Amino acid sequence: MRIFVLASFVAVLGLYLFATQVPVSITSDKVAAAVSAAISEAEVPVDEDIVEKVVRRSLEKLDAGQRTRLTYLFAAYIVIWLVFMLYVLRLEQQQQLLDQRLAQLEIISNREE
Amino acid sequence: MGNLKTRIIGVITAVLIFISLYLVFGYARLEGTMLEVQKIFYYHVSAALTVFVAFGVNCVFSIKYLIQRKPNDDLLAAAAAELGIIFCTIALLSGPIWARSAWNTWWNWEARLTSTLVLWLMYIGYFILRSALTDDKRRTYSAVLGIIAYLDVPIVYYAVDIWQGGLHPDRGTKWSMETTMQYTWMVALLALIMLFVFLLIVRYKMKKAQMRYEIIQQKHLREAA
Repeated sequence: MRIFVLASFVAVLGLYLFATQVPVSITSDKVAAAVSAAISEAEVPVDEDIVEKVVRRSLEKLDAGQRTRLTYLFAAYIVIWLVFMLYVLRLEQQQQLLDQRLAQLEIISNREE
Repeated sequence: MGNLKTRIIGVITAVLIFISLYLVFGYARLEGTMLEVQKIFYYHVSAALTVFVAFGVNCVFSIKYLIQRKPNDDLLAAAAAELGIIFCTIALLSGPIWARSAWNTWWNWEARLTSTLVLWLMYIGYFILRSALTDDKRRTYSAVLGIIAYLDVPIVYYAVDIWQGGLHPDRGTKWSMETTMQYTWMVALLALIMLFVFLLIVRYKMKKAQMRYEIIQQKHLREAA
């Protein structure tokens, strides 16, 4: 039981680490390429520096937003698994205590016999 | 920690939990507004619905105890209430984390949140009552309290309809989700209900063993005296 809870806890942790490695679906390379294409197609003159700054800032915001959301997601699942784990550990402790008491009772009844 | 049937239920539960975790993080599509943080929904809502099942079991076996007066029914009712508190704690703790990201607040005294907290407190009271009394009085009074406390469950469920204007969405929202999200939620719900059943069996057996031990111990003490 304890192993199962620990394993699932590790699974949540692994999935979180996996999820955080996945970049925002729109990568900076893709955006840069799209912006270059748009500028070359534009019929009016465009200041490339300003466009680049705006795009970079937007990407930073997207990235920070994703990181914040993933942190909340991770925190929620950690809390869920911690509650389960603490409960299972408490059950195990109670079971051990019960086993000890039963063993003591058995010794007492054997002595009496 | 139990016989073959319990172990089989444990294995099925473990497999279902792993499948549900895969579905939550790897299969379900991202919700358009809340994005990644919406994935808390799958376990938060499932835990909240499992609370209703757990307290429902407590109510049924409390009524059964009052009718038939079998101590085992009381043990099962107490085990279900204990697990109900665990699942309610999960819902109450994971909810604010989601709320902070989605609603920009950790807690709000809206109807559903308040009635859920009241539900949790009532079942905490149930165990305080159990620890304060002994034997038949404990069983009878806690059974009565279990039945009364269950009256809060429909209030929690229908809170968004009765007191409109809260932060929680309508009850029907979860049925209008995208297909992959619905499948994922259903598997997560099934996994948590199976986990409840498994832990209920384990806890019930432990309580039964504890009761037997106490009976034998009292018998020994009487004989010794």
